[in-house]
Amino acid sequence: MPTLKVNGRRVTVDSDATLLDAARAAGVEVPTLCQFDGLEPWGGCRLCVVDMSQANWDDDWFKVVTACNHPVEDGMTVVTDSERIIETRRVVLDLLLARCPEAPLVQQWALEYGIEQTSYTPNPEPDDCILCGLCTRVCDHIGVSAISSVNRGWGREIAPPFNEPPPDCIGCLACAEICPTDCIPFETSNLRRKIWGREFEMLRDPKTGEAVITKEQAEHFAERSGVPMTYFETSDRSKRREMAKTFEKLQVVK
Amino acid sequence: MAETPCSDLSKAEEILGRYPQEEPALIQVLQDVHRAYNYLPCDVLERVAEALEVPLAKVFSVSTFYKAFSLEPQGDTIIKVCTGTACHIRGAGQLVEELERQLGVGPDETTEDFKFTVKTVNCVGACAMAPLVIVGEKYFGSAKPARVSKYLAEGGADEN
Amino acid sequence: MRIESKDQFEVLKAQSLEIEAERKQRVLVCCGTGCLASGSKKVAEAFADEIAKRSIDATVDLFVKSTGCHGFCERGPLVVLNPQGILYTKVKPGRVEEIVEKTLVGGEVIPGLLYKDPVSGDRVEQYEEVPFYKHQVRVAMRNIGRIDPTDILDAISHGAYSGVAKALFDMTPDEVIGEVATSGQRGRGGAGFNTARKWQSCKDAPGERCYVLCNGDEGDPGAFKDRSIMEGDPHSVLEGMIIGAFAVQANEGWIYVRDEYPLAVVNLTIAIREARKYGLLGENIMGSGFDFDIKISRGGGAFVCGESSALMRSLEGKTGEPRAKYVHSTDKGLFDLPTVLNNVETWAGIGAIIERGGAWFASMGTERSKGTKAFSLVGKVKNTGLIELPMGTTLRHIIYDIGGGILKDRPFKAVQTGGPSGGCVPEELLDLPVDYEELTEAGSMMGSGGMIVMDDRTCMVDVSRFFLAFLEEESCGKCTPCREGLKQMLHVYGRIIAGKGQAGDLELIEKLAAGMQLGSLCELGKSAPNPVLSTLRYFRSEYEAHISDHACPAGVCRELTAFEIVEDGCDGCHLCYKACPVDAITGVVKELHVIDHEACISCGACLDVCPTDTIRTFPKHELEKAEVV
Repeated sequence: MPTLKVNGRRVTVDSDATLLDAARAAGVEVPTLCQFDGLEPWGGCRLCVVDMSQANWDDDWFKVVTACNHPVEDGMTVVTDSERIIETRRVVLDLLLARCPEAPLVQQWALEYGIEQTSYTPNPEPDDCILCGLCTRVCDHIGVSAISSVNRGWGREIAPPFNEPPPDCIGCLACAEICPTDCIPFETSNLRRKIWGREFEMLRDPKTGEAVITKEQAEHFAERSGVPMTYFETSDRSKRREMAKTFEKLQVVK
Repeated sequence: MAETPCSDLSKAEEILGRYPQEEPALIQVLQDVHRAYNYLPCDVLERVAEALEVPLAKVFSVSTFYKAFSLEPQGDTIIKVCTGTACHIRGAGQLVEELERQLGVGPDETTEDFKFTVKTVNCVGACAMAPLVIVGEKYFGSAKPARVSKYLAEGGADEN
Repeated sequence: MRIESKDQFEVLKAQSLEIEAERKQRVLVCCGTGCLASGSKKVAEAFADEIAKRSIDATVDLFVKSTGCHGFCERGPLVVLNPQGILYTKVKPGRVEEIVEKTLVGGEVIPGLLYKDPVSGDRVEQYEEVPFYKHQVRVAMRNIGRIDPTDILDAISHGAYSGVAKALFDMTPDEVIGEVATSGQRGRGGAGFNTARKWQSCKDAPGERCYVLCNGDEGDPGAFKDRSIMEGDPHSVLEGMIIGAFAVQANEGWIYVRDEYPLAVVNLTIAIREARKYGLLGENIMGSGFDFDIKISRGGGAFVCGESSALMRSLEGKTGEPRAKYVHSTDKGLFDLPTVLNNVETWAGIGAIIERGGAWFASMGTERSKGTKAFSLVGKVKNTGLIELPMGTTLRHIIYDIGGGILKDRPFKAVQTGGPSGGCVPEELLDLPVDYEELTEAGSMMGSGGMIVMDDRTCMVDVSRFFLAFLEEESCGKCTPCREGLKQMLHVYGRIIAGKGQAGDLELIEKLAAGMQLGSLCELGKSAPNPVLSTLRYFRSEYEAHISDHACPAGVCRELTAFEIVEDGCDGCHLCYKACPVDAITGVVKELHVIDHEACISCGACLDVCPTDTIRTFPKHELEKAEVV
């Protein structure tokens, strides 16, 4: 189990931990935008940069790396608040503020780093997408891949194929829910769900009539897990009621 | 699909037959498709996604990432102006402007009669002959704006 | 036809040499992309016509060979006559008959077709004596211009695959790596990583198999050495890869060729097919028991795919997004397996290193940069083209002795090396020896070997903006500092070039540059500020002139520059009138010509053609003052 120092504090972590895990274990906060527990780290936003020195390097020789995906090594020294790190994060936030001046999350982080207004030219057609990739990554993770990043460079954007309602979308809303700036619009009701221009019919719990899930999502999950579709069509409330019935049969041992 | 194409998919099938049906073949397949159809029609891309077992969204992502691909039909002849460093300092910009004056279209645009598409290319590696214009398959080195109409008309070898 | 032993290879080689020896008269016509653009194909055809007309035996009495790029692209189409050793330059199809009649039949040289030294005015007859070639030491490009790249026997007679025979039969994989280590060869793609160390890391990495790749995505604008090697001697690349694959025990390899090099793809395809036919590639190479085959993969038009991890993603059929650099591709590269990726020129040198020994290679060059390096010398220099020289040669020697000095003898301003990741080297540093570390310390980079010479009619602010615009188009867009930073840098530059620069703009650029260098994910973003920082370091006054004086000292930035024909110097030659694309010049032949400032778009075409240097530039805002008065 490797041991390393983060801002002077010693921590021991699992061998497959990242520098971000180590920082958290040491009680040190490192800002992130494109990181999400449960998804493979991506290293795109560059907000989580830290200064890192390996055990066999000179004491004053550091390298700037992203904490979210850099593996730990025994004897590493990590500094999360050196001058150049703070300055680099400022540049990142200043740039994001120029792209998404109205996104509350970006405004908040920028303020924390002392930036009220961007030093750069604001986006003439601003939206709140910070291109963190979380939406496409979670969609890939679920095994659907209905949307993707399109174009390259500054024109890069998240879109469905041909900018048409994506045929592969299952209406699970994971993309909208994971989006840190809430910039993926959707509508959902007991009758139907709308997202990315697709409309989905909601399946209802046979006992309670509650809208539970879209048909496509239930099918997809059933196929992937091998669990029958009826499980996914059942609302949580119904599931709890079923489980409660089994408690009747339990014998309490004194 | 919003636009129409009802492409002749037989060409696509023939192309798919040349490669293993898996993701690593995607870019090579798209190259051949682009050459065969003069662009990437969306119904062909759907077929490619199906055949290579790659999600359509990823095929679309790759199609829009690489400059070699156009998702819109292109002109019969592609005119490429090299805008690499050597060509830039030897006046590539003037060539692009002259083409716009004569054809009425700028980079990545196609003339209304679909005869020409103008593109800028980031260095074709003939830097010693800067600036360079390529009309179809023909390379014109040490190109001059005054000769642009000649390049367009002939498409033949330039006598410097 | 398949070679099944080392002896059989030696026999084939001897046969190929005999065939070559029987060709009494050889005519080599350069058909590299540069000369093709000058019409060399018609020259080769004209020779074929002469042969037909005179009923000459084309295999023996007059053998015409289409070769790859000789490198002297400025003087193309190039024709070399052997055994005479004569070089004819700027050969037009119409003169071929004369060449055959006068030189080949009559034994007379045609002075008008010989290279003329721009300084002394002398005509040079011998190819080997032309300064452009005399100073060169060709290792990676050893056979380019000598062989027909589509004829494998021609390549073999010139030494191709002899290194493979030696490695596979006389050496162990470790000995091969040892020889490359002795040579001290460093990657020729730009990063300059030690080749032997890279191979050793791959060999040591765990994995069920490994791969060798060739990076043929030469994206640096201004560099075309890899194109010439792939087109002109594809066998040198195949040979290097076979030897490298043997060293790391890989059985599969790919050559990734950028989309913009169609001829390279064609010639590589032919070479692979021929090599397979002769058992030099594929299963049981030369009967040695070693299997290795190569496939070609075409790029899709993305400079970022020259970055090793992006290239591998592209090979996997994905978008060219680089991945974090702490994962070494020698551990987890293509398909997450150990992979060796080397540049075209690196591979091309391996065959020679194995055949002649690592010590021979290390005897050339400097302490830290061994061997020779290919450079593409382009821009405002008289002799533009492709050269290969020992490391340690000075920039001055390259630009003046080989390059012949600045075009039109205008003043030298800077030489840009290393492509968009490099920087500008000014006059005071011209005696810098070309060496990886020396160039980096000067604020530039070796890069791919592109050297773009700039004269006083080059604006360094414009040059930086050019590189930023190039990179902005090529950025993959994954990480914030590069994607947003390039765009914002361009906004600031746009302001400055339009004469709307503000106080604090230079500091803003410097701050953003630091953020991009430290924060970007890959070298594209990290090194994007290099041209900016190096021009600020050596040419800061030019930036200040743009911002404070609203003037472009070089007279390039259109919104800041006006043009005027000076009355005293104009002789009415009418050339400017013809050159002007918007008819802004009025004048009759033999009389003073005048530029209409309203119509003038400040493109500079008139100044470029004026033979008496009579057109001057001045800050555009002076026009407004003049009007007020």
